[in-house]
Amino acid sequence: MKIPAFLRLTIRNVVVNTDMGTMIFMLGLPTLYLFVMGFMFQGIVPTGLQIKQNGLDIPYTTFLAPGIIALQSFTAGNIGGGMLWSDRRWGMFEQIMVGPFRRFEYLLGIICVSIFFAIVGSLIMLAFALAIPVSFNYNLIGVLSFLVTIVMGTILFSSLFLIISGIAKSMQAYQTITIVLFFLLDFASTSFYNITSSTPVWLVYIADINPLTYISNILRDSFIYGVNYQTFTSMGIIFAGMVVLFAISMRVYRNIRSGI
Amino acid sequence: MPENYIEIENLRKTYDGKKYALDGLTFNTGKGEIYGLLGKNGAGKSTSIKIMTTLIGFNSGKGTVAGYDIVKEAAKIRKCIGVVQQEESYDFATVENNFKLAGLLWEVGREERDSRMNELIDLFGLDEIRKKRMFDLSGGQKKRVQVAREFMHDMKVIFLDEPTVGLDPIMRRKILDYIRQKANKGLTVLFTTQNLEEADMICDRIGIINNGMIVEEGTSSQLKNKYGNLRTLTIWAGDESMLSKEQVQNIFSDLSFDQLEVKENVITIITKNLEKNLGKIMSLLSANNIQVERINVENPTLDDVFIKVVQK
Repeated sequence: MKIPAFLRLTIRNVVVNTDMGTMIFMLGLPTLYLFVMGFMFQGIVPTGLQIKQNGLDIPYTTFLAPGIIALQSFTAGNIGGGMLWSDRRWGMFEQIMVGPFRRFEYLLGIICVSIFFAIVGSLIMLAFALAIPVSFNYNLIGVLSFLVTIVMGTILFSSLFLIISGIAKSMQAYQTITIVLFFLLDFASTSFYNITSSTPVWLVYIADINPLTYISNILRDSFIYGVNYQTFTSMGIIFAGMVVLFAISMRVYRNIRSGI
Repeated sequence: MPENYIEIENLRKTYDGKKYALDGLTFNTGKGEIYGLLGKNGAGKSTSIKIMTTLIGFNSGKGTVAGYDIVKEAAKIRKCIGVVQQEESYDFATVENNFKLAGLLWEVGREERDSRMNELIDLFGLDEIRKKRMFDLSGGQKKRVQVAREFMHDMKVIFLDEPTVGLDPIMRRKILDYIRQKANKGLTVLFTTQNLEEADMICDRIGIINNGMIVEEGTSSQLKNKYGNLRTLTIWAGDESMLSKEQVQNIFSDLSFDQLEVKENVITIITKNLEKNLGKIMSLLSANNIQVERINVENPTLDDVFIKVVQK
């Protein structure tokens, strides 16, 4: 059976990335967040920390779980987009480009592996969340909006890391940018906590332009509060961000010369 | 079937718009031929390989590889070539997985993949490290994997950009023998190296590239014959004779040499007319009270040809 070029590249990307380090980064860290942060914060308040949002009081662990699932789109985007950088760094980009592949197939391989990791990672996180347990409401629209958002969010973050991979000139530069983004996007979003009237304004601004905020909010709507008008607005914002970043990444990618 | 398997005509390439990395590169190879591209660092060897493997564009000229145009039929070329880059290239995986992934990417069937992998691992002496991750290997081991991995797929032309750098002599010989076997079966090989001894050993024809163009071309023996009258005379003067280059140049001012070097009490002369001038050289040294302890005359090697050609 003939496997299309982009699928062969996707399989290769999966094999190359299923090492212990990547798995810990993709699954271990969010699992720790979910269990350690979830229970530790929950334990701060003797009666159990409750998050009040959209007129509902929910346990912190239930609030946190969709945020952790949302992180999978960021982590998978980082792994996928970062592949371009490591392939350039270790000579495989050039090697693949002199093989039976076109540039867009290489790119498609990266996007596909990111989506694959994001969906698998999200489902694993969902399973862990259910083990806590958390109380989610399931319905078809909620599941669909979860899947669509994870895919869009992953393409958005893959594009972001593709851009960084395309412009970073050294390992130090790439790693520094990645670490700063990791902390900024992860923690200045609503993945771990909600925005309240006490949140400093500058942090609210950062959270408002942070895609992870919208992805976390959409997933909370999908699993807890119910899909509503605001959910679709957030999806529209993610879609727009995805299109813009993807277009920029295309431009950067087209101009990439092999090697670093 | 094209008569010339690689045909490059007047290629010019500049990276900065000022200096030309390739400046009228022209050469061709036949099917099953091992063509060696020799040149000093920055002569244009890697740039020419990058163009022929369709990795980068060029400013003018034309070329075909395996009968396909390097601009219009780039995708067809990439389906029938193999490339071993000068730089490291490997996946973050075990040695075995690097072979398997190469097979997967080139659509080699699973059974064929495993049998080729085992054959290559055996041939390139990689059995002990087959389960190791690439990161844990030495530079020479990585290079062996890189070269061996490229033979996981069938191809018509292989481009080898300094494939033996960092390898021990035994492994180098093994790899060269393997490449020769493949060429005997019809594989066309474009081989770049700075190791002239191995070029002498393996290449059917050699092109010496300098400043982005082929400045000399032929079989190893043709090149040596062409520069055959260029011989090296080494003279060891007595220990008490501390010589300067100026002093020796003055002594031999009536004679013309291609190259004259003086290091402590050793004079090295490279000249076309050694037989005619040897008597005169010895007389001049004697007349200037320079005691000669020993002399040695060497016939040209490919090294001499190379040095002569790139210094022309």
